[in-house]
Amino acid sequence: MTRLVFAVLAAGLLAAPAVAQESRERLDNGFTVLVRENPVAPVVAVSLLVKMGTRWEEPANAGISNFVHAVMVRGTAKRTGAELAESIAALGGKLNAKGEVDYSEISATALSRFWREVLGFTAELALEPKLAAGEVDGERDWLLGRIQKRRDNAPARAFDEFFAALYGPHPYAIPALGTPASLARIDHPALVAWYRRFYQPERMTLAVSGQISPGEVLAEARRLFGGLPRGAVVGEPSRPAPANRGERRTFEQPAQQAQILAGGLAPSLDHPDHAAVKVLSTVLGGGMAGRLFVELRDKRGLAYTAAAYYDPVVDPGALVLYLGTAPENATKAEEALLREVERVRRDPVGVDELNRAKGYLLGRYAMDRRTNERQAWYLAFYELEGVGPDYPERYRRAVEAVTPSDVLRVARQYLATLTTVVLRPR
Amino acid sequence: MARARLGLGVVLLLAGCATAGAMAPSPAATPTREVLPNGVVLIVQEQRASEVVALQLWMRMGGRDEATDELGLAHYIEHMLFKGTPTRPPGSIDTLIEGFGGTSNAFTSYDTTHYDFVVPTAHLRAGVELLADLAVNASFPPEEIESEKKVVFEEMNLIEDDPEKFLLRRLYEVAYSPHPYGRPLLGRREFIEKLDRDQLRRFYRKHFVPKSMVLVVVGAAEPALVRRLVEATFGRVEPAAPSRGATPPVPTFGPSRRVDVRRAEKQAYLGLAWQTAPLANEDVYAVDLLTSILGDSPSSRLNQTVRERLRLVATIEAGYGAFEKAGVVTVTARLEPADLDRAEAAILDVIRKVRAEGVTEAERQRALITAESSYAFDIETAEGLAKTYGQAETTWTLDNELAYLSRLRGITAAQIQAVARKYFGDDNYARVRFVPGTSSR
Repeated sequence: MTRLVFAVLAAGLLAAPAVAQESRERLDNGFTVLVRENPVAPVVAVSLLVKMGTRWEEPANAGISNFVHAVMVRGTAKRTGAELAESIAALGGKLNAKGEVDYSEISATALSRFWREVLGFTAELALEPKLAAGEVDGERDWLLGRIQKRRDNAPARAFDEFFAALYGPHPYAIPALGTPASLARIDHPALVAWYRRFYQPERMTLAVSGQISPGEVLAEARRLFGGLPRGAVVGEPSRPAPANRGERRTFEQPAQQAQILAGGLAPSLDHPDHAAVKVLSTVLGGGMAGRLFVELRDKRGLAYTAAAYYDPVVDPGALVLYLGTAPENATKAEEALLREVERVRRDPVGVDELNRAKGYLLGRYAMDRRTNERQAWYLAFYELEGVGPDYPERYRRAVEAVTPSDVLRVARQYLATLTTVVLRPR
Repeated sequence: MARARLGLGVVLLLAGCATAGAMAPSPAATPTREVLPNGVVLIVQEQRASEVVALQLWMRMGGRDEATDELGLAHYIEHMLFKGTPTRPPGSIDTLIEGFGGTSNAFTSYDTTHYDFVVPTAHLRAGVELLADLAVNASFPPEEIESEKKVVFEEMNLIEDDPEKFLLRRLYEVAYSPHPYGRPLLGRREFIEKLDRDQLRRFYRKHFVPKSMVLVVVGAAEPALVRRLVEATFGRVEPAAPSRGATPPVPTFGPSRRVDVRRAEKQAYLGLAWQTAPLANEDVYAVDLLTSILGDSPSSRLNQTVRERLRLVATIEAGYGAFEKAGVVTVTARLEPADLDRAEAAILDVIRKVRAEGVTEAERQRALITAESSYAFDIETAEGLAKTYGQAETTWTLDNELAYLSRLRGITAAQIQAVARKYFGDDNYARVRFVPGTSSR
């Protein structure tokens, strides 16, 4: 077979971007509904976000938001947890509830012709959970098991220790699961009170994405959630500011790999530096062409896993550089990691490298919004974060506008003080 | 290693089934299929769920097309295609795709192999050019051939270490051998160890011909543009005769096909396999529903009886491997070694009861919802939809795929009982048991 060189002569007729039909309505009681019609597949996804999570918790009741949701799925006023699971399965779907850092979520999916039913089950779980006293001990045991499992898992433990060191007195220092001590203290009345305090219409955002008719979904959401009375106002938590004191902490536990994490506090989602820090994070640790992967893994074999993380949150976020490596390489790997931090704070990033990072970042962002489940979550999340429905497009433009000097500036600013956690095998 | 997954039909054809709150029908979203002059089949569908496009090259070639002294070549080529072409050095292909923010993957099964990209729409052209380049210009760099051997051995280890995967692998081997569906897709260590570049190139040139290629493009892209890009790349590949040979007949399963394997695990594993309907067979719909009713969920019959009521197994499930030339229904379970005989008898009892009394309407309905939901969530992404089309075109037909769910809906409880009687006897099955003890592999 002769070799062919494929060069396509057609002019660049790129397709127009996908146009989503989105509707938004704030009900009289403050409850927000967002609907996105997506005709491609006969499925529907629901995400109900409530402003309730780690941000409002204290060390004494850490994990209570997630604990409430674990008890909620055990049953409603109308059916047991098992009946609820079976009912959802009969719609070809699933239903979950959990507490996170800035929000708690009830999420559900189903075949779209059952959109009314799945919305009904979501409302039933959100508004009429049984929260039976008899379920509390069993769920606490289950959660304690998960905390233990997380502690036994070296990477998970290392991240938890890192956030504890980085955030200090701020609530983001404590995992959403809570601690064994806090869970032991949380009793049934506390769970009920926590649920009542936060499940107020003005704190809730419902997003629905799928093969549905927005008008019908809005009308049904009004019927299900519009009757809720407004609740007492829950103020924004006044919490000590996070304090990155640039500590280096080391731990030991049985494991195969050593874990090395270094990083600093980073801007929140709506901060003008957000896009530049996302690009910085990608230059350092975005996939196989990220600097940590190329320099530490490919060229020097000093790490097996090499990545960077920077997830948006309401209060200051964290830019984390992460290595998983053989114990004998840990010292050299940590030194090499610090050299990469020095380099990115000293020399401007090249244009090719910058463009690769932007392509990777925006491509991954598009890839992450393919399913209705993710679309519903993004819709509700951006509403909850207060950045508005045009955020994806603004974010795309902001990323494209980032220059080498922006990356240098944010590297100097946000990686000036590094908190480091090293977890070594025992 | 992939078993053929039965494709289910396009749900848009079910608009008439919509219940409360039926919406206006969606714009007719159906694929277009055309055959280019050199024989490449192009299937295109515009789908604007997100701003990405899925590009998949499906080859009418898989493990079953290997000669007995070539076992593992189709899979090895799957690994090597991403390693380079004359204009793309090793490593650059992965970096290119990643730089787009895209993903790449590839799969080998008995009937087909496929190469998949998902890229943001802005990189459609580069993606098509890359896929075409891999399809005819793969360069098989010698040092990459050597280093990839470790990766393939590691893949073999992973399968052997995973009792559930290895049970299915052994069950297929015991059930089908010496038919190609009984061979190891990854090949054997001794052969891969000595594998050289000429063997790979010969196999590649023989099988990667336009008439064996099916290109599926689904996503946020204008079909007219896609067609132009594909004509300028895949359309220019020199025609050549495909070389797919005949497949020997499938053997009969029965008591002679039963093997016990000693393994290091403390628990035992049981696998049973019945010969059922291949893809082109009319029984495929009823067998699919029967398999679901037997063992697809916690509420399935095998779960309810053998696990919940009799407590003879820790897990149990049924699966349908529907291939072009044969179909197999497997029942696999993890259990205590002392319960092996009783569990097998209980499984046979459950099936006997279906043969004697049939299934209920509620079970039929639940199986339909499960099938419909699994399909609907598969096709919500561009790559999921592309996969159902590629699979159907290479092992079945696109029309059968498009009609699948509506055919499934037409199957009655009596038809489900009839296939249970036709295919599932008390003795016509192959069996593999993993029992604790010194490993004999």
